[in-house]
Amino acid sequence: MALATATPDSAAKNDSRAGKYLTFVLGKEEFAIQVLRVREIMGVQEITQVPQTPAYVKGVINLRGKVIPVVDLRVKFGMPEQEYSARTCIIVVQIDEGGARMLTGVVVDEVCEVLNVQGSEIEDTPEFGRGVATPYLLGMAKIKGKVKILLDINKVMNAREIHGLAGALA
Amino acid sequence: MAEMPVQLNELARDPELINDFVVEAGEHLSNVELQLLALDQDAANAEALHAIFRGFHTIKGLAGFLGLDPIQEVAHEIETVLDLARNGSFRITPAHIDVILAGKDYLDRSLAALKQMLETGNAPALAADQQLLASIRASAQQTRPEAAVPAALSALSAAQEPEPAERGAEAQAIKVDTQKLDFLVDMVGEMVIAQSLVKHDPDLALAGKPRLTRNLAQLSRITAEVQRTAMSMRMIPIRQLFRKMSRLVRDLSRKTGKQVELELFGEETELDRGIVENLADPLMHMVRNSIDHGIETAAERARAGKDATARVTLRAAHQAGFILIEVSDDGRGLDAAKILRKAREKGLVEDGAQLSESDIYNLIFAPGFSTAEQITSVSGRGVGMDVVKKQILKLRGKIEIHSAPGRGATFYLKLPLTLAIIDGLLVGVGGEHYVMPVSAVREMFRPREEAISTVASRDEMVLVRGSLLPVVRLHRKFGVRPKSEKLWESLLIVTEAEGKRFCLAVDELIGKQEVVIKSLGESLRHVRGVAGGAILGDGRVGLILDPDALFGKAAA
Repeated sequence: MALATATPDSAAKNDSRAGKYLTFVLGKEEFAIQVLRVREIMGVQEITQVPQTPAYVKGVINLRGKVIPVVDLRVKFGMPEQEYSARTCIIVVQIDEGGARMLTGVVVDEVCEVLNVQGSEIEDTPEFGRGVATPYLLGMAKIKGKVKILLDINKVMNAREIHGLAGALA
Repeated sequence: MAEMPVQLNELARDPELINDFVVEAGEHLSNVELQLLALDQDAANAEALHAIFRGFHTIKGLAGFLGLDPIQEVAHEIETVLDLARNGSFRITPAHIDVILAGKDYLDRSLAALKQMLETGNAPALAADQQLLASIRASAQQTRPEAAVPAALSALSAAQEPEPAERGAEAQAIKVDTQKLDFLVDMVGEMVIAQSLVKHDPDLALAGKPRLTRNLAQLSRITAEVQRTAMSMRMIPIRQLFRKMSRLVRDLSRKTGKQVELELFGEETELDRGIVENLADPLMHMVRNSIDHGIETAAERARAGKDATARVTLRAAHQAGFILIEVSDDGRGLDAAKILRKAREKGLVEDGAQLSESDIYNLIFAPGFSTAEQITSVSGRGVGMDVVKKQILKLRGKIEIHSAPGRGATFYLKLPLTLAIIDGLLVGVGGEHYVMPVSAVREMFRPREEAISTVASRDEMVLVRGSLLPVVRLHRKFGVRPKSEKLWESLLIVTEAEGKRFCLAVDELIGKQEVVIKSLGESLRHVRGVAGGAILGDGRVGLILDPDALFGKAAA
């Protein structure tokens, strides 16, 4: 009990979604993922294609001696693909999958900043009324008049989904 | 202090202490097992008795310290038995050894439970085994005083517990987390790549400074040496694995009532950790098969004029970059006629087929040969042998059987020294580079146009030394744009999958390289035709090809 000292921001305590986020840009939208998930950020390097994988799996890269898969978030979200530029980044995130931890690279247009998002700034994902499933959206954060989409990167990367598609294609 | 078996005291909540205990007690237990088996061979072996005593004594002390009562209790009771034996109250019999082994197995299970607790955070299911305790206590009562041996024993124990010479050797080794080791190997690999990038930098060639060149050459020598050393750290002697078999042989020999002696050769032979771990199961199957089916009963052996005690031999040796392991017995050998008949019944062999002796022996590895009606009554051999073969193939090894009727059978295993490195041929298709394991390559050539023929203008065949081989175009399998669609402008690699030869068409051969195999990770593990990834000389990732999956049934 002694550890449960009250945090100054009671909203933050109430909302487990509050915390530090890394924001990045895809097209015209700004997204954010929990900083705790991020292992490192690197410029785009040469990616080795892997056959029989879904289009959003760009291939594999060498992360200091480890081979890790790289996913293009634009393709994953059904946005048009874009030539990689000097601003394009690979965010290496840690994904939990059935108790195992694995690293995955995520290609984004541009990395912006690390933000402290308060619980009071977060709103639930609106119902779009089209029956669109949005399981990987944690919510929306309005910060200085701009909307940032909070992503549950674990759900986005859900390896089982990649499996499923790979299985269907094979 | 609660008496609940699951209750842990304050200290036992410290995962680090528990982990240290599990590691240390585990080592003592595996040593205890070896010494017990030695004691079983020679009940007067006082040194072994002392070593076993010390092992249980240490475990008892540590467990008491951590409040692991059930463990402490079992260790204590065993210690009592051993102490009585040490003082010459009775002589250790195989019955005592059985009980102590049972106790040791209980402790092994308890350690496993503790380990699980560390991983999952759940309270361990450390239940006291009253039956076991009772049987240990009972065995302490079996006092059968014998004059001569105890005298010798107490004389020895009076002469101070001998510190075995191994102690000195132990101090020379330290324990390292395998994860750290793997990380080191990864980093060394990266260092070699970085070093070679610097060395081949075009700016450097332009500079033309002899001193710089000399220093760089020195650097590459050192990095190569560091890499070699790092790789060798993953190697462990096969001793542990072989000794595990001693226990198996003892148990089986008591269960089947056959007298079996196990002989071990080349225990110091070193091989990759990963291989040692994956070899335990197949080796156990083979030893079990030898004893169950290969070795005759004592009566049969006497009739055949053989020594009543049968012999199972395990032998390990290095040979030309491979490790050879032999499992042999001096039993009745394989009955080729019987195997062939059974295989015909099962439809594994066509009626008219002419098979060589080794072809026939290999039939026991056929799946389905073993599982249904076993032919154990006469020559046996076949229970789970397809599993053995599969495991060995997975380790990129080969297995062969030799047998002489009435004189025994031998399994020969040929395994690579390490799973981590393969010799690869770097081949290019379009802009992509792939690694083809050299071990899978039979030959390579550029075909002449007239050697190529098509079937139904779709499937291609090529004539190689008088036989027509199907062609698989890698670029079509992998969806890559090749440099040339014309087969006579590409390179054909003759390889083999499931015993059938075929040609793999690629653009060109780029070079030969030893590569460290890396997993592509959980999500990409099931990519067909790819066995893994490798970091190439330029730091890029190259995919390692898996010929079995590119051709054959799996690829259809």
